[in-house]
Order: sequence, then structure tokens, then C-alpha cells
Amino acid sequence: MSTPRVPTGIAGLDEMLHGGFLPRTANLIEGAPGTGKSTLGMQFIQHGITSCQEPGIILTFEEFPQQYYQDAANFGWDFHAHEDSKQLRVIMTSPEVTRADLQRINGRLESLVEQIGAKRILVDSLSHFERLSADPVELRRLTYEFINGLKRLGLTAVLTRENAALLGETPDVEEDLAFVVDSYVLLRYVEIQSAVHKALLVLKLRGSDHDKDIRQYAITAHGIEVRSRFEGTHGIMSGTPTMTHAEAFAAAFLNPGTKG
Amino acid sequence: MSDVDDLATSLMDDMDPRLLNLIQNRINSFIKWDLVRFFHDNPHTTDTADSIARYTGRDVRTVEPELIELAQDGLLHMEELSGMRVFTLATDPEIRQLIQSFIVACDDRQFRVKAIYHVIRNLR
Repeated sequence: MSTPRVPTGIAGLDEMLHGGFLPRTANLIEGAPGTGKSTLGMQFIQHGITSCQEPGIILTFEEFPQQYYQDAANFGWDFHAHEDSKQLRVIMTSPEVTRADLQRINGRLESLVEQIGAKRILVDSLSHFERLSADPVELRRLTYEFINGLKRLGLTAVLTRENAALLGETPDVEEDLAFVVDSYVLLRYVEIQSAVHKALLVLKLRGSDHDKDIRQYAITAHGIEVRSRFEGTHGIMSGTPTMTHAEAFAAAFLNPGTKG
Repeated sequence: MSDVDDLATSLMDDMDPRLLNLIQNRINSFIKWDLVRFFHDNPHTTDTADSIARYTGRDVRTVEPELIELAQDGLLHMEELSGMRVFTLATDPEIRQLIQSFIVACDDRQFRVKAIYHVIRNLR
């Protein structure tokens, strides 16, 4: 019997995840500014509402709700209509208040989940939790507690996290969070032949196998589209990949117009 | 009757009495006006005075007393949460409808001018 999945609605990503995230899990999407973390999260919420009868909540620690309505509209997603039909709530709050709310019985978030029958949540972004504690051990405990609070409410969560590095390796401090979440999706800018591309990698999916390819993706008028894997290059996640020996040979001798 | 009183009477005459009462007694400062608009635009906000001050680009020392008064006047809900004082928009449908009417009325320049007059008069 196959494990039930929570599809994101992003065709290539669901394929990499072998159908989607696992139910009641916390799924981290990490990337530099502009890589599409929030878009991916909004698409996950939109797909839940329109294709899976799964109402959703967007918990924002940074952007105003109006920004989500506007961004969603640019992709043809009517978040105002979802709010009117009680399938979506965009809540602006702070990590301190959310944490305290999750600790009490029948808190505001819990009541809301019951009211609209929410199954999905986008938390944008987890980076703001860092202000709760300067101690990494304490921060990990707080994040773990927060994530378990969301799972207790029966939610499948997409948590975004910013990465300041535009190109190149991830700072060590962020690895800690990878242990706490159930899946970890990295969004990266990569430079290939003097052009910036976007790369997506599923680093971890607890409790299931997943594709390990590094895929190209684009933010289109309809949301995120995950495309084919990068061919003929290696060192993609370094941000500045080089051609494989075979591609370098072909570029130098068979197709001199191509530079690597 | 002075000229000022004459003007005030004329400005009150053609105003919806519910909205006039709201401006004279509850949204009687420009900061409260701003805060009510903020909660109207972001109706699911639940946060501390500190965060709300940040969202609205104001000083918490200015914002917090106004939030408390709005809560005392029933436009907001205030509660203690793990030692924090947290504010949300009141859930009473009548209050929400009143706020909605006020925000819609503010789209009209004539209404805004009259409302500004009453707020300034309250501040004096």
C-alpha cells in the first residue's frame, strides 16, 4: 500500500518527491531572496484549496497580507475569493505570539484550523524565529516545539527560510534546522555561461525515497515549473558549476562556439 | 453661537450618525484612524503593540495607549498571552460592519474632510 501524499501541485517537484510531501510533516524550503520560496509556498496552498479540498493558512512574520493577495493574483490565484469562501486565512503575526498561542489549549491558530478545516500551512518565514534566542540549542528546541505544534493540529507545513548566500555554499548554522524538519528543499542560483539559472534539489525526505537530481526550475506566469535536470555540468550547488569532461571536450572540439 | 460651532453643526448634519459617533468617541485621533485601517486591511493580525507599531511605522510608546483605548472601546480585542498583551480586530459582526462602513466612507473626499475636522476638534 502506497503512503498517502500531500501534492504541492508543482509537477516536477511532486515527481521528485514521489507524489508530494508526507501528511503532517514540516517541509523546509530554503533559498536566497528571489528564488521563489514564498511562491512555492503559495502554490502549495493554492493547489490544496483548488485541487485537494484542503483549506490552508498563511502565517506571515514579514509581508503584509495584501502582498500575498497581490502576488497570488499575478499568478492567477484569487486568494481574496478563497478567504471569502473560508478556505484560506492570511495571518500576520510574530513568532513570539505564535509560539505562545500554540502552547495554550484551544488557541487562536487551533480554533482557526478547526473553523476552516485547514490541512495546509505556509509559514513565511522561519528565519524570524532566530530573534527568539541567540543560543542555537535553545533556538533548535523552540523550532522543534513550534513544528510539533503545527503537526499536532494536523497540518502539513511548508516553512520558508532565507539564505543570504546568493551563490555558493550554505552557511553551517543552517544545517542545524535540517535535522528538525521532515523534508528539505534547496533553491539556488547557479551561474552557467555568464547567465544565472535557478536550481532545485530535494536534500532530504524523511520516511520516503526521493529523486536526488538537481533540477532546473523557472518562475512562470502560472507559478513554479520544475524542469529537467542540469546536464553536462557538475558542481551545480557551488553556484559556479563547471562542465563535465565530456561536455568540455565537446565544447572545445566539436562545438567551438560554446564556451564553458 | 460662534462661527466654529456653526461650522461643526453643518458638518454633522449630513453625516451618518453612527459614523459621526464613531469618529467623535472612538476613532478620535489620527493614530487610531491609522490603526483601524491597518486592522481592516489585515483582519487576521494577532500581535503585540511592539509588532503593530513596527508594521505601521510608528513608535510603540505612541501606539500602545491608542491600541488599549481602541480595545476598551470595543473595536479591538485585547488579551494576555504568556505575559504579552496581544491585540486583534474585534470579532463582533456589528463592529466589523461599522469599521467597514467607516473605511468605505473614507474613500469619499468630502467625508474625509469632515472626519478630519472632527478628529482635530477632538484633539484640541
